[in-house]
Amino acid sequence: MLTRRHFLQTTAALAARGAEPKRIAIIATIYRYLSHAQHMGDRFLIGFPYEGEWHKPNMKVVSLYVDQKPEGDQSQERAREFGFQVYPTIAEALRCGSSKLAVDAVLIIGEHGEYPRNEKGQVLYPRFEFFEQCAKVFESDGGSVPVYNDKHLSYSFEKAKQMVDTSRRLRFPMLAGSSLPVTWRLPAIDLSLGCQIEEALMVGVGGSDPMDFHALEALQCMVERRGKGETGVRAVQMIEGDDVWKAGDSGRYSKELLTAALSRSDTPLGLTMEDARTQDLVGSGELPKLVKNPAAYFIEYRDGLKATLLMLNGAVKDFNFAARVKGMREIQSTQFLLTPEPNVTYSACLMRKVEEMFETGKAPYPVERTLLVSGVLESCLTSKIQEHNRLETPHLSVAYRPPRESQFPRS
Amino acid sequence: MAVVVMSSTTRPKLAAVATVFFKYSHAQHIVDRFLDGYGWNGTHHRPEMDLVSLFVDQVGDTDLSRERARRHPSMKICPTIAEALTLGTGKLAVDGVVLIGEHGKYPRNEKHQTQYPRYEFFEQIVDVYRKSGRSVPIFNDKHLSWNWEWARKMYDTSREMGFAFMAGSSLPVTWRTPSLEMPWEAKISEALCVGYGGVDSYDFHALETLQCMVERRRGGETGVKWIEAWRGDRFWQALKEGVWPRELMNSALCRSHTLTPARAGFNDIFPKDDDMRRLVKDPVAYRYEHADGLKSTMLLMNGLVRDFNFAAYVNGQRRPWATQMYLPMPDGRTTLANFFSPLVNGMEKMFLTGKPTYPVERTLLTTGLTAFGVESLFRGQKRVETPELAIRYQATKESTFWRS
Repeated sequence: MLTRRHFLQTTAALAARGAEPKRIAIIATIYRYLSHAQHMGDRFLIGFPYEGEWHKPNMKVVSLYVDQKPEGDQSQERAREFGFQVYPTIAEALRCGSSKLAVDAVLIIGEHGEYPRNEKGQVLYPRFEFFEQCAKVFESDGGSVPVYNDKHLSYSFEKAKQMVDTSRRLRFPMLAGSSLPVTWRLPAIDLSLGCQIEEALMVGVGGSDPMDFHALEALQCMVERRGKGETGVRAVQMIEGDDVWKAGDSGRYSKELLTAALSRSDTPLGLTMEDARTQDLVGSGELPKLVKNPAAYFIEYRDGLKATLLMLNGAVKDFNFAARVKGMREIQSTQFLLTPEPNVTYSACLMRKVEEMFETGKAPYPVERTLLVSGVLESCLTSKIQEHNRLETPHLSVAYRPPRESQFPRS
Repeated sequence: MAVVVMSSTTRPKLAAVATVFFKYSHAQHIVDRFLDGYGWNGTHHRPEMDLVSLFVDQVGDTDLSRERARRHPSMKICPTIAEALTLGTGKLAVDGVVLIGEHGKYPRNEKHQTQYPRYEFFEQIVDVYRKSGRSVPIFNDKHLSWNWEWARKMYDTSREMGFAFMAGSSLPVTWRTPSLEMPWEAKISEALCVGYGGVDSYDFHALETLQCMVERRRGGETGVKWIEAWRGDRFWQALKEGVWPRELMNSALCRSHTLTPARAGFNDIFPKDDDMRRLVKDPVAYRYEHADGLKSTMLLMNGLVRDFNFAAYVNGQRRPWATQMYLPMPDGRTTLANFFSPLVNGMEKMFLTGKPTYPVERTLLTTGLTAFGVESLFRGQKRVETPELAIRYQATKESTFWRS
């Protein structure tokens, strides 16, 4: 099947043939088996599956910085095998030991490793600090190159905002975020651009703050396609425990949407674990029995849309979305497929997007998505420690336009 | 909306006939979806029909059928197939039958085929039909019978008696990553599937994966002229000699989500030939030629992948066309085998309309391919001519895999 996108890629590949490989620096917290740095960084070393081929980016990793070297560290081993240097500082990694910026792109992967948590339970990964050091090199050397930042920009919106502002000021493309927006979907649907969403709901699982971020970004990549684009968030609230069920009973989120989201799950727990029976977890009343500490993240957008993330540990083990869209009879729902370990092929989907930015100099989707989600997460966790109060979020008036073309794999 | 042919006022009644009923058995996956419903199109769907009786051939310590009957009193456990179909009335009293002859302790023959009693169950079902002077649709899970003559007889009986007959695997109807359908009336010059599992079990799934794609080609299915199996050293030699297109195999492997890492410390790395040889202890290939010249290859590469991936040369394009038939397998990854949901949904449509959702000839052919593939292995990997498999049919133009 020859799609327009495939044609463009083929054309780009032809144009790139013979071109010098792009030089990549990887700036990571740790590089160990199944850490993000390993499974994302390795894609640029050994290639990855893409559109039914083993795709090898025309790129060469030339330098690596790792902040921590825990047991199982692979940084030296990879450097030896693939012929690059591990540098003791970020600046040196970007300059490859010379006095000037000597790479064409930077991959910042600040996930995993031993870092403290703050009172909101956020892991204080030094993504902002890593980024600032890169920007400092760009500024002092008089040049800049595309930067990918894995996951949210920073635990602090203020810092995240500064990162995006810096990328604008120094005019380099920047991409960030989770794999969920770009992984396979079951079914392979997107909301139509410009649609009117009446209500949206996301079900996620895992701990805070790593996994709630993924769920929020999955939600955001769907709802940003509404109306005239994203307008930002007016207020948030995070509640926990029985209040979550009460909120459902009082209609603060739609149980129909919850049923729809859970209907996409391949991993109901409880009785399904016992004897593999199918379950309508909402209709049967089993849900509250399974989830000991539910959490609801309520998001009020500036244009009036209300969206809810329910973190339902104990009920399911996957990430599912549902929305009611004006003019559509059926609820729109899908599962964001997190393909199994160890391949975690979803990270290949994400690195293809990164490669696309490194190749073209254009981010395939706006970093503002991740900026907004970074801020929503931080404010929700602030609500959590401030007696679960609703918080106005005037600082989250982050407006942006979503990409016209769907970004999840369809070919 | 589907047309209810039996009666516009009553819900169809179904009987299920199964070998066993334990956790993760096919009977459990299928029957539970009728009893408890399942996620479908963004809701918890409950089939508009009642599964009223269940026959289970082997009831062991791990049996769940009794628990199901207690929880769903509308479903009666019946000691014989005839009773499950007649419900004590002396004549056929259901509107459809689900036959699930998978799992359970049944003897293997000298060719290592498990002799699941699908044919025997089928014969008992049609015996009730004959005595009642009436017949109703049957869904047969997986292939028709391990014995080709019996499989053919099942098919012929369904035609003679004129009832709707459906069969097969979940592979043709499950999700695909990517969610692609073979273009209608495509020109296909070669097709290949890389799967996993054993001979006389998962080979059938891989063959159905191939068949649901290639049957859409120009001219429709024309049947198969011969089949040849490769195993062990002969498989590796064939790989080296390019008996099947290497590029298609690589492309199929590039659709996998479960490629065993060939090197420690790497999570997703493409295997070299030596790696494959080390990882795959008992590789099996069936290669066969269709009457119109198309050649198809099925590879079972246990140890290398745990999913089913398809690749083909389509419409003269040099780049392979490939996808994965995605099974959310409850092997630790998931808790529900949801690939049974589109299978049950396809059955429901037949029970409501009286028409098969997709042609049973697909499964008649793959039943034969499985049997003759096993036969080739049994005869020392010799090519087997298959005049019996001159089976022509047209696929449904409309896609029947899970997309919504």
